[in-house]
Amino acid sequence: MTQILPQQLGLQVNSVIYQYTTLKDPNSDMLVHVQNENARGPGYIFRETDDWSGLAGNTINKAVPVGLIDISYWGDGSIVVEGEGEVTDAYVAYGYQYTPCEDPQSDPECPGYVDMTAPLPENVVVDDGSQYIQDELDRKANLRDQKEEEERLEKERVEKEKEEEIKESLEELLGSINTDLLNQQARVLHNALVATNYLPRNYFEMIQGGYYPDAVMLKDKRLPDSKQGLRVGLASELKHKQLVDLQYGQPTKEEQ
Amino acid sequence: MFNKTLILLALGGFAVGAIAEDMEVVGNVQSKCVVTPDTAGVFGNPSPDKLDTDPSSGGVDPIVRYDVIQASYYKARISHPNSFSESPALNDVVNWTGDTATSQVSDTGMSGYDAAKIEYDNVTEFALTVAGSTWFKTETLAEYGYGKAFPAGVYRAVVTAECIAI
Repeated sequence: MTQILPQQLGLQVNSVIYQYTTLKDPNSDMLVHVQNENARGPGYIFRETDDWSGLAGNTINKAVPVGLIDISYWGDGSIVVEGEGEVTDAYVAYGYQYTPCEDPQSDPECPGYVDMTAPLPENVVVDDGSQYIQDELDRKANLRDQKEEEERLEKERVEKEKEEEIKESLEELLGSINTDLLNQQARVLHNALVATNYLPRNYFEMIQGGYYPDAVMLKDKRLPDSKQGLRVGLASELKHKQLVDLQYGQPTKEEQ
Repeated sequence: MFNKTLILLALGGFAVGAIAEDMEVVGNVQSKCVVTPDTAGVFGNPSPDKLDTDPSSGGVDPIVRYDVIQASYYKARISHPNSFSESPALNDVVNWTGDTATSQVSDTGMSGYDAAKIEYDNVTEFALTVAGSTWFKTETLAEYGYGKAFPAGVYRAVVTAECIAI
């Protein structure tokens, strides 16, 4: 069928028109099959049978509507005779239709047609996939950097923990040594002090724990001026005035 | 007086109620049989005294197509010519013979038309018992006088094809 129907995208066959002449004895049985194989499966996509049994031969001219069947289904065609008789002057035509703009590039008038020969407008970034590739490379690089950073941080954390452990173990080691030394020295000193009876007795007594409130309480709300203090203040003031007057040459009260 | 008036009004009311109206019913019937000339005929002139549409004589048989949508409601009546519609002046008789038969069918059942056709005078009738298209061809032979040559000129004849409801 590729030699018969134009291989146009979207082409659909809507009718089959055929004509042939039968040469036969009117009393004989004869079946004529006009058919097309199904190119996309088993069987036939079109099969029309004419029963000429008991009829005189004649020329048949028949138009058979078949709906709209896509071109891809139409396989090889044939006319097969069953019984006694002969078919001559056969002619088969296929009526078809197609949507011109099934492929928008088939016609500049089609909607969606893109003129591939037209010059590209300026300041237009051609999306040839390089941007996508670059983005993908950047993404992978970022992932790699992030992974390396995580590994580095993990390594540092492990090293830090190891250092901490070493430090702690060293401190514990040194601490235990010092403590032992200090304890020995303190014990010797303590024994010496006890032997000389230098330490007071209450040093060895236990003090009861708990809350100890203040024992002295000031109950007066107003404190009066001390009269004795007032006299002392006044005498001091007079003495000061004498000294000042003496400095500026004025006669003091006693001199007057 | 009042009663008489009332009676008159009542009569008037009855008179209005008795008025009749005629309503029209319209229908449009389109023929289910269509006759279409398919092939124009041509007279061949195999011998001076013969005008023949047979292809073997150099002529072309006229073909007419009958399209029947509904089966067994119509018959085809085809008359082959028995006179010229246009010709030079003829001073002798013309003997006409003709035959009409199916040329093509759109259904194998139409092959029985020829066996069942009715012929009389120059008329052939076919009962259109199968829906579809049937092509009928008419052969026409005109012989002039007794072996007499036709005068030169243009000759025209008419084949009449009718579709008649049974």
